[in-house]
Amino acid sequence: MDYIKKQLPDSLTKTGGILLAMGVLILILAFIFTPQRAFFDYLWIYLFMVSIAIGSLALIALEYLVGATWSTPFRRITEIFASLTPVLILLAIPLFFGMHDLFHWTHAEVVENDAILKSKASYLNVEFFIARTFFCLLLWVMFYFLLTKNSEKQDIDGDPKYTKKNITLSTIFAPLFIVTITIAAIDWAMSLEPHWFSTIFGIYYFSGTIIAALAATTFASIKLKEGGYLDSSLGNDSFYSLGTLMFAFNIFWAYIAFSQFILIWYADIPEETFWLIHRWDGSWKFVSIALLFFHFILPFLILIGRNAKTNLRLLKIIAPWMLIAHALDLYWLIFPTLFVGNASFGWQELSFPLIVAGVTMIVFKMSADKKNLMPVKDPKLQAGLEFHL
Amino acid sequence: MSLDATYTRELPLVEGKTSFKEIDDVIAKPTETKPNIKWYIAIGISITALMIGAVCLGLTFWYGVGLWGNNQPVGWAFDIVNFVFWIGIGHAGTLISAILFLFRQKWRTGIARFAEGMTVFAVMTAGIFPAIHTGRPWLDGYLFPYPNQHGLWVNFTSPLLWDVFAVSTYFTVSFVFWFIGLIPDFATLRDRTKSGIKKAIYTIVSLGWRGSNRHWQHYERVYLILAGLSTPLVLSVHTIVSFDFAVSVIPGWHTTIFPPYFVAGAIFSGFGMVSTVLIIVRKVFDMEHIITVNTLEKMNKILLATGSMVGYAYAMEFFIAWYSGNQIEQFTFINRAFGPYAWAYWIMFSCNVFFPQLFWFKKIRRSIPITFVLVLLVNVGMWFERYVIIVTSLTRDYLPSSWGMYFPTMYDFGILIGSFGMFFTLVLLFAKTMPVVAMSELKAVTEGAQPSKKHKH
Amino acid sequence: MIGKILKKFDDRFLKSEPRTGELFAVAALFDTPDKIIHAADKVSGAGYKKFDVLTPYPIHGMDDAMNLKPSKIGWVGMIAGTSGTLLAFLMIWWMAGINYPIIYGGKPFFNLPASIPIMFELTVLISALTLVGALITIFMKLPANANPLMDTDFIKRVTSDKFGIYIEAKDTKFNLKQVRGLFEELGASSVSNIHEAVYDVGDTNNPLLSKNFVGAIIGTSLVTVGITYLILNVVLFLPPFDWMHRQAKVLPQTESKFFKDGFSMRKPVVGTVARGYIPYEFTGMPDSLVVPIPNPLPVTQKVLDLGKKRYDTYCSPCHGYYGKGDSRLKGQFPVPPTLLSQKVTNWKDANIYHVITNGQNTMPSYSSSISRDDRWAIVHYMRVLLRSQNANDSDMVGK
Repeated sequence: MDYIKKQLPDSLTKTGGILLAMGVLILILAFIFTPQRAFFDYLWIYLFMVSIAIGSLALIALEYLVGATWSTPFRRITEIFASLTPVLILLAIPLFFGMHDLFHWTHAEVVENDAILKSKASYLNVEFFIARTFFCLLLWVMFYFLLTKNSEKQDIDGDPKYTKKNITLSTIFAPLFIVTITIAAIDWAMSLEPHWFSTIFGIYYFSGTIIAALAATTFASIKLKEGGYLDSSLGNDSFYSLGTLMFAFNIFWAYIAFSQFILIWYADIPEETFWLIHRWDGSWKFVSIALLFFHFILPFLILIGRNAKTNLRLLKIIAPWMLIAHALDLYWLIFPTLFVGNASFGWQELSFPLIVAGVTMIVFKMSADKKNLMPVKDPKLQAGLEFHL
Repeated sequence: MSLDATYTRELPLVEGKTSFKEIDDVIAKPTETKPNIKWYIAIGISITALMIGAVCLGLTFWYGVGLWGNNQPVGWAFDIVNFVFWIGIGHAGTLISAILFLFRQKWRTGIARFAEGMTVFAVMTAGIFPAIHTGRPWLDGYLFPYPNQHGLWVNFTSPLLWDVFAVSTYFTVSFVFWFIGLIPDFATLRDRTKSGIKKAIYTIVSLGWRGSNRHWQHYERVYLILAGLSTPLVLSVHTIVSFDFAVSVIPGWHTTIFPPYFVAGAIFSGFGMVSTVLIIVRKVFDMEHIITVNTLEKMNKILLATGSMVGYAYAMEFFIAWYSGNQIEQFTFINRAFGPYAWAYWIMFSCNVFFPQLFWFKKIRRSIPITFVLVLLVNVGMWFERYVIIVTSLTRDYLPSSWGMYFPTMYDFGILIGSFGMFFTLVLLFAKTMPVVAMSELKAVTEGAQPSKKHKH
Repeated sequence: MIGKILKKFDDRFLKSEPRTGELFAVAALFDTPDKIIHAADKVSGAGYKKFDVLTPYPIHGMDDAMNLKPSKIGWVGMIAGTSGTLLAFLMIWWMAGINYPIIYGGKPFFNLPASIPIMFELTVLISALTLVGALITIFMKLPANANPLMDTDFIKRVTSDKFGIYIEAKDTKFNLKQVRGLFEELGASSVSNIHEAVYDVGDTNNPLLSKNFVGAIIGTSLVTVGITYLILNVVLFLPPFDWMHRQAKVLPQTESKFFKDGFSMRKPVVGTVARGYIPYEFTGMPDSLVVPIPNPLPVTQKVLDLGKKRYDTYCSPCHGYYGKGDSRLKGQFPVPPTLLSQKVTNWKDANIYHVITNGQNTMPSYSSSISRDDRWAIVHYMRVLLRSQNANDSDMVGK
């Protein structure tokens, strides 16, 4: 162990602030000119932030659940990404103002004339929606504070009892997490097309969030390691498992996506197929094909070799790649509702990368300043650092 | 640096300080000594069950599948239920041997060989059912695409054909994986045995293995790649089995969560069966310190996790059936829970979702008798899950005029009993003739088995 | 009896030293993994090439200590896997898309989504089998039961609880004294000389050539052949296998007790015409044809191609591919005269059609095997044959 805490450069906040300001400006302009589109952009931004924050939270819990040692040196970085969770509550408020623009089922007159929408009005109504959103968010925030608090306390005295506490917490969190992420996926993404339904949808979104969280952790860890912020004994072998998990969850994502696709395609029931057809109309076809190649096939081929997963220069490219792929995945989920017939990408959508990068940078810096970048006294840390293939 | 065991969850695998020689002695013992009376009783029961199945099967071949309870509208019944059940059992073996290997879970070592063997036997047992449900198993060659005199090819768009490929691939790869793992242990037995005929057999099957590091080098790499190949393979097999149902338009069958739901269910049922058999075997062959309570506790945790996943799938099915606004879909699920087959549904639900929740308690997880009861219930519950899915959906689909009921006959039950007989006969013979724990792997994870420091040139 | 057989096995397979062969190697046993890894490091460092380390389980870091190159076997799996995917793709594409297309669920004959499961399975299958095959036969060069190390006390320990290392006598640097000294210096618990597997005592004849063994092989083959013959020719015609042969159905040209007139085949109802039936009233010799019907088909490439296909199938066996009367039936059927005669050339299309429809002399009627349109297409094609077979020099002049 030769870890010494170093402050992250202030330029992170500055750059993040500039990006955020630009992004917000674009979003406000978009709101003035094309309000509906602005809200869709905002939903896209929001879901991506949820992916990183909640995916990270799930990764932390997963480490405790399976008792992994290799991931311990990276856990604090994942925790810092999870610190986006409290911010999510604040960010959710604009969504509620946009519900009428986003969700077809909020239009009372439409529901009145639609037997199917009427039959599900007891679930899809504004009050219950807001209640569910807050339930999920508060639950996540609660577990975020509980898990990270124990982890940070351990930095002081290295008492194993904190790990035990977190194992218990993670066990309780696991089922709650699955339920809440399913609610989130159904509410925020699936109900954009209120007639459509798919039982696998929650798992589909879940697989994407884990990829996003892994990619974010990998990218930040490599950057920090290069900057000398992490322990120097953290070798390339330790990154192997991060690469492998990214590879594995990418296959899992493809598996879930393929399962959903082939069952709907094969059974060919119109009440389900229209959702896929919207994603195959006009230029959406190219987005769908791009998603297949960009999200699955190319990363699969790149990461399949054993050496690729310990090659930090390659991982540094693949990690942001997977983040962009996840953004594309969310774009593919959200926007066909708005751009019926043809995909579109205008200046309004530039707000997405700017706001996401801006908020993440600022929150990362703020959160990182308060704690060590590694769980310094975690009893598993040494084993994690010594990890060799 | 040694870690606090309870802390990292890596307990010593073998209880007590055991030398390599003792490991060999304990594990090779069943293959070198006459079995005890318990073994004879067990195999007697198994072979009796197998014979019951053989008689029922013989009668089925003679008179045709009309002896079964299958009818209109339930054209698929016990044959497919049993097939899916046994294929599912196989999944635990691959999970333990491949997926846990990739996750570097060392506790798998004590049970991996056994679980792999069970995979092979379970898939063999499962393979009977697609072969016999055609009614004319001697014509089953047509299941494979071979250039025949009729100039016909199989239907590549049919999920049943995907099954043929998936199951035969699964069997072949599992078998090869199992055999590769057995080679070093066969060599150990070859060099231990005092009997000429055993020596001849072990010499052949060990292929002249000598433990050369020039071999280990490639061997370990292949083992890793095979584990990597088996992992998606095991997912694909039950996924394809689920496609048999889910690509159709039958309400209750066509739902997108089926693939992961079936996989989770398969692993769940497989762990239930592995636990059942291990609890018996560790008693019969005195292996309590190798197949430890810690290992069983870990398996119980996996049972809890997969059982909850299955519960999630049940809940999603119900919720989405309501959410879809599709009346037929809604009726199907109400019919499952409250219709004429409600008893089967509630057996399934309580055995798969409710009872495994008891594993939240550490005391129950570590109690062998309670675990044994619970895993038996898991086996029952998972058999009923397939029964519920297949039979209730078929008895009542779109047209009320074509609704019906399904009643199995004694031949159906006879063949089901026979499948258990076959499986347990194979398991018992395996336990008698082959090392049920991977000796070479077990030695590699005992304390002090690896060099104390990273060696530098 | 059984005891005697077991005794024979014991004599043959439970061998022990001493051996009388040449020196094969010097082997040493070590007690701990640390010692063996140190020994391997020193031996490879001393420049020995033909040495090997034998352990009951793989030891971490041994590859480095022995100075081995990383295993390349992963590439075998990669290449085999890719071939498997490709093979499955080509198989499905050809079988389902080209050779035997079936309409199924309104899906295209060849469709990628439904092919993916089998493509995946074959990828795994071929990759796994190739890997294991290559591992055993190429990378490990097994089976190798004739290795001199077999049946030594040395190997009996290294497959159980000790760690062994040996240096072959063939190594260029080999020197008995030096090697033994090196091993002892490294802390070996025992050092032994291993000789080639030549034994003083025992049966030296190759057991594979013994009368009993060869006899057993021949006997087994004969029994297998006999059983196969019986199954294919007898068993499959016994119940329940023959239940498809014996069905309660009416066969043509047989008596029926069900119908009053005793015929099993039924006549059409009086005054009805089968669907698509168009009467052709002319009978008799082609020359006497009263109403010459014109050929209803246009002369197009498509019609001529169809005519050629039908002509080659139905006409060419007797008339030959070019109508020269060169039958391929080799005299099993009377050889017809050439179609290139003046008579046929002067015939109207209807005459030719008439011959195909009604037959002539020994030629039977083809009205039931070739459809009307196909017959007219054959007529067009025959005109092409007549023209091409009677080509003039002037036809060769280019325009």
